[in-house]
Amino acid sequence: MKRIDSHRAAVAAAGAVAMLAVAGCSGSDGGDAEQGATGAEGQTLDVWIMQGTNPSADEFFDGVATAFTEQTGAELNVEFVEWGDAHDRFVTSIAGGTTPDVAETGTTWTPEFADAGALAPLGDYVSDAGLDGDLVEGLVDAGTYDGDLYGMPWYAGVRSLVYNTEIFEQAGVEPPTTWDELEQAARTIKQELPDTIAVAVPGDAEFTVYPWIWGSGGQIASQDGETWTSELDSPASQEGLEFWTGLAEDGLSSAGATTWRETDVLDAFAAGDVGMAVMGSWTPGAIVEANADMEGKFAAVPIPGQDGGIAPSVLGGSHLSMFSTAENQDLAFAFIEMMTTGEFATQWGEQAGYFPGQTSLLEETLDSTDPLVAPFAQQFVEGGASVPVSPDFGAVQAKATTSTMMQSILSGNADVATASSSAAEEMTNLLNGGS
Amino acid sequence: MASSVPVAVRADDGPSSARTGRPRRSWVARSRPWLLLAPGLAVLAVLMLWPLLRVFLFSLQDYGLPQIVSGEPNWIGLGNFAEVLTSEQLWSVVLPNTIGFAVLAVSATVAFGTAVAVLLASLGTAWRAVVSSCIMAAWAMPAVTGTYVWVWIFDADRGVFNHVLQSLGLQDAPVNWFTDRWSFYAIVLLNIVHHGFPFVTVTVLAALLGVPRELIEAAEIDGAGGWRRFFSIIVPQLRQVFAVVIIMSTIWDFKVFAQVFLMPGGAGTNREVLNLGVWSYVESFGQNRYGFGAAIAVLLTLMLLAITVVYVRTILKEEEL
Repeated sequence: MKRIDSHRAAVAAAGAVAMLAVAGCSGSDGGDAEQGATGAEGQTLDVWIMQGTNPSADEFFDGVATAFTEQTGAELNVEFVEWGDAHDRFVTSIAGGTTPDVAETGTTWTPEFADAGALAPLGDYVSDAGLDGDLVEGLVDAGTYDGDLYGMPWYAGVRSLVYNTEIFEQAGVEPPTTWDELEQAARTIKQELPDTIAVAVPGDAEFTVYPWIWGSGGQIASQDGETWTSELDSPASQEGLEFWTGLAEDGLSSAGATTWRETDVLDAFAAGDVGMAVMGSWTPGAIVEANADMEGKFAAVPIPGQDGGIAPSVLGGSHLSMFSTAENQDLAFAFIEMMTTGEFATQWGEQAGYFPGQTSLLEETLDSTDPLVAPFAQQFVEGGASVPVSPDFGAVQAKATTSTMMQSILSGNADVATASSSAAEEMTNLLNGGS
Repeated sequence: MASSVPVAVRADDGPSSARTGRPRRSWVARSRPWLLLAPGLAVLAVLMLWPLLRVFLFSLQDYGLPQIVSGEPNWIGLGNFAEVLTSEQLWSVVLPNTIGFAVLAVSATVAFGTAVAVLLASLGTAWRAVVSSCIMAAWAMPAVTGTYVWVWIFDADRGVFNHVLQSLGLQDAPVNWFTDRWSFYAIVLLNIVHHGFPFVTVTVLAALLGVPRELIEAAEIDGAGGWRRFFSIIVPQLRQVFAVVIIMSTIWDFKVFAQVFLMPGGAGTNREVLNLGVWSYVESFGQNRYGFGAAIAVLLTLMLLAITVVYVRTILKEEEL
């Protein structure tokens, strides 16, 4: 450890670029560990990367693995874990002491795992690498627990309104800029093409619901001192919910969508069955991957606000976190730095449709004129919002409070007023540490 | 099975009469059975008893992620059990779903399985082989695969079921069958019966073939019809076999999990369809409340134990009469 520590100081002095150069030379020189970035020849770094809505990432990580071995001499072992199973996998691996060295963690999980003592703090490494101030603020906030950084900002995504240009042309409608226009467009599509799903209103996809709550001036929850109060049942929130679920009630969605998750929306959209849907900036790649015929047949616009403007949408994202069980923490951070800055971060963002977590890289992306990047970039900058920043919001998500509310409204079991007030009650309780 | 019962009894009688005939056997001879059983019991203790004990110990703690990481216990006595038993959700949704479903599923599985067994018993060798293979295919299908097939069949937009109903003009627009508590469990019931009846069929068939033909022929000569022969001659002969299949099915159907969890809305977004297994899972792994989830699991185990004990006792009492 001592040797490694002294080396870390050296790296800090020489700067990240120098480290790459030194490491590049020492890759073939296994004997001189003092010189190598981490002296990690023969070691293996275990990494978990999420998959589900991401496009296939095998090739990308092949490239990363080669570069990583060149730089540090260590092998990279990447395991892909489904988003849906990931939380359970993390918990069982924490219990069994079999956590990976580094893992992609959803931004809402990072404080939870840090709170449990499973993650190693990254603040010193980030300062040493000279990255302070160059990381996207929202992602840093989400990754900070108790004053230290536990999640290295990797990428962020945002959801906008994605529409099928072919369906829009056939029905003769334009992308909507207000809620009235959206409803009108949906009605026209349904009239012209009765077999399509004019607008997908999924019941099990909470992040597609919040824009409509914010769009009419509502809130998910507000904080007064230490106390949270859910605002899901405020008149403004209810107005947004009425509009969004009303589209389904009028038959503009589909009966099946009541139990859809975001992956089901993606499947249906990729099959060409859907006129418009709230989908993430990372989905265009996945749509074309699922159905090559869709290439060039869809576009995006920011989610319209009630009377124009942009309705805010959740800035979701991922951190790379180091687990406290990592044997060689310098090696682990070398990987984290490699992934979250510079070339590989840019490449991942372009390939996967995400915005990088490094401010200097993000600015480049935001200048893009690509029709499938620019609308999301606009949404990201002008209409990005966060779910309540509380370690207990994970419990709200796990309890599926919002999805439960949506499903009961969409299936006709409860009206908006009843469903939203019981959801608000549950959320308030959970956010204040209840169960 | 029926014919093997006397054999089993005789086998039991053998050593005991030998023991009384030759008293004062050495300690080794008396402990030999236990020595032979020891490896098996040791394995069972490690694989079954220790996890069971751990679950019970968790149920007495407020056990969350911090406890998992640190390994420190956090005892709260019977708090979890108190919370489970006073929860309105338990009494209005979870228990009715669990028990109601188990009763229906066990009756349906056993009735259907027995009916198929009777059918098989009356078939010739060739057809019996064909039908048996079909049954085995249903049995061999993994629960997850089977569940997805049923989900596809009943899918609102692309499912066969809605398509047929609409083609026949029985409904105007697609219906999402997963959102309603009753239709949701009707689909689970189909899934469970489909997956569970082969076990019943195979076991009952083996027993059916062992019923002495003379008994049936005698009843036939006495003028008993088909139903009468079945319920008065065959069923009493098969009592122990039915005891086994009913107990096994009860245990399986009480703790049904994957078949509910994997259905749309079954993983906790539709609170009306929660059963004990899914509730325990959602609380444990979703909310990180492992203690609370463990308490639910302990209650489920106790319920199953109670049902099994009562059932076995009833059967044994009938035997004595």
